[in-house]
Amino acid sequence: MSARAVEIEKLIVHAARRCVLDVDELQISAGEITAIMGLNGAGKTTLLRTCLGLATPTRGVVHVLDRNVPQLHGGSLAQFRRRVGYVPQLLPARSELPLTVREVVAIGRTGRVGLFHPFKKADWRIVDEWIERLGLTLLSDRVFGEISGGEQRKTILARAMAQEPELLLLDEPTANLDLGWRERIVATIQQLHAQTAITILLICHELEVLPSICHHVVLLDQGRILVCGAPEEVFTTERVAAVYGAGLHVTHEGGRHAVVPGGSIHV
Amino acid sequence: MFDLVFWLPVMAGGALAGASSGLLGTFIVGMRIPFLGICVAHAALAGAVFGSLCGLEGPTVVLAALSGAVLAALVLGLLDPQRTQLDDNVVLSSLFSATMGLAFLGIGLHDRLGRSDNDVRGILWGSLSFCRWRDVRLMLIVGGALLAYVVVFFKELRAILFSRSDAAAAGIRVTIIWTGLLILVAVVLAVNLQTVGGLMIYSLISNPAAAAFQLVRGCRRAMWLSAVFGAASGLGGFLISAATDLPSGPVIVLVSSALLAFATIHRRYAAKPI
Repeated sequence: MSARAVEIEKLIVHAARRCVLDVDELQISAGEITAIMGLNGAGKTTLLRTCLGLATPTRGVVHVLDRNVPQLHGGSLAQFRRRVGYVPQLLPARSELPLTVREVVAIGRTGRVGLFHPFKKADWRIVDEWIERLGLTLLSDRVFGEISGGEQRKTILARAMAQEPELLLLDEPTANLDLGWRERIVATIQQLHAQTAITILLICHELEVLPSICHHVVLLDQGRILVCGAPEEVFTTERVAAVYGAGLHVTHEGGRHAVVPGGSIHV
Repeated sequence: MFDLVFWLPVMAGGALAGASSGLLGTFIVGMRIPFLGICVAHAALAGAVFGSLCGLEGPTVVLAALSGAVLAALVLGLLDPQRTQLDDNVVLSSLFSATMGLAFLGIGLHDRLGRSDNDVRGILWGSLSFCRWRDVRLMLIVGGALLAYVVVFFKELRAILFSRSDAAAAGIRVTIIWTGLLILVAVVLAVNLQTVGGLMIYSLISNPAAAAFQLVRGCRRAMWLSAVFGAASGLGGFLISAATDLPSGPVIVLVSSALLAFATIHRRYAAKPI
């Protein structure tokens, strides 16, 4: 694998006849955590979906894990996607489905195992290993629709990891979670990266969600990259005020970041 | 006197239609697209109507029905929801209204041309009492094909059942597997339709699967239990109707509804899923 996990050049993506993404250049190094941030409708999810071949660009080059994604179709696209773990923003909400947590995690293994091949013991070992590593062992026989939102997020994360991906795409992994679960998910992402050195592309809205080991932040505004760099460089009070509105103050503490309305942080 | 030799193929037909519809129901109910059954049934009806208009008669009308159902399944399978940006149920309801319009147009033409539409009415309402071993053999073949497909592609179907878009994102060949399942839905429904009729098919798809989802954990268990509930509805409903001298179709529908009511009450008051 090259040192670059993602290389994008002159990318234009249209949706409903509107240009939603216009990225001149973006490079993401292998083994790093990169956060994509920006206002609602800035093109964050479209960027992630384009990297996975779920959104088709109007033009441009999207090299992910050494494959030019827009040129992949059918079997080659499926083969590429097996190398990328994806945690979508919206979780399937069919609560009546009787699929257990273990079965949902096993879905991540399905593409890897391939058509006409049954799961082997080694595949189930990997599934159970990720269930254990994400602290889901006691829930593995529970129905997915009956566990809490945070536990469901962890299950989907375990599903993505059971794929043994080279790149992990996380679309708002802490959406709709309370503070406790948000911190647990952030800690899990940090732990995953520490254990596997996997490249992680993460979309989030809150600065507090950025792991302390986040290497880069890409700030999008109306489909264009406004700035790209280390979190401390990107999130200055002036820039946050310019993008999100006046009266916001940014603090950086122990590698973590927070935005508070004016003044200073009181712990 | 109950003539077992005469009624045995009827009982086998009811049980087989119930089992295959119940098995399909796991995916149709699980993906919240119950409209699929009714949509494919009307496509089969449209196929039968136009087949009959073209001069087909008797068993060959079933082939026309099959063609209509498979064509509808192919349209549904090859439409990519990511590209069309349309919900499955919106596509299904549009296709349903189109196939229903075509079917009634054909029935109108039948009347205008003064042709007999007995074969078409047979497809629409079914006639379990006239099910013979020839029909049972056909149901066994398509039911066996469905079973083989589900066993071979179980892990992919489980992923699609959970989320079609997530399965595609995980590198699963969703279009191939999903279109294959839809074609089998079309074939199984078109074959069962002439035996058990549209109303019963719809209840045998929805009720057994919904009941199984109430009682068990795990995709595989739910699938088998749904097939068992479907077979029990078909067979049990027929036996009750024979014992009480009531029409078999409505009794089968009511038995499957009673199973769902029992499962829901059992889940609510008696126990956790197995």
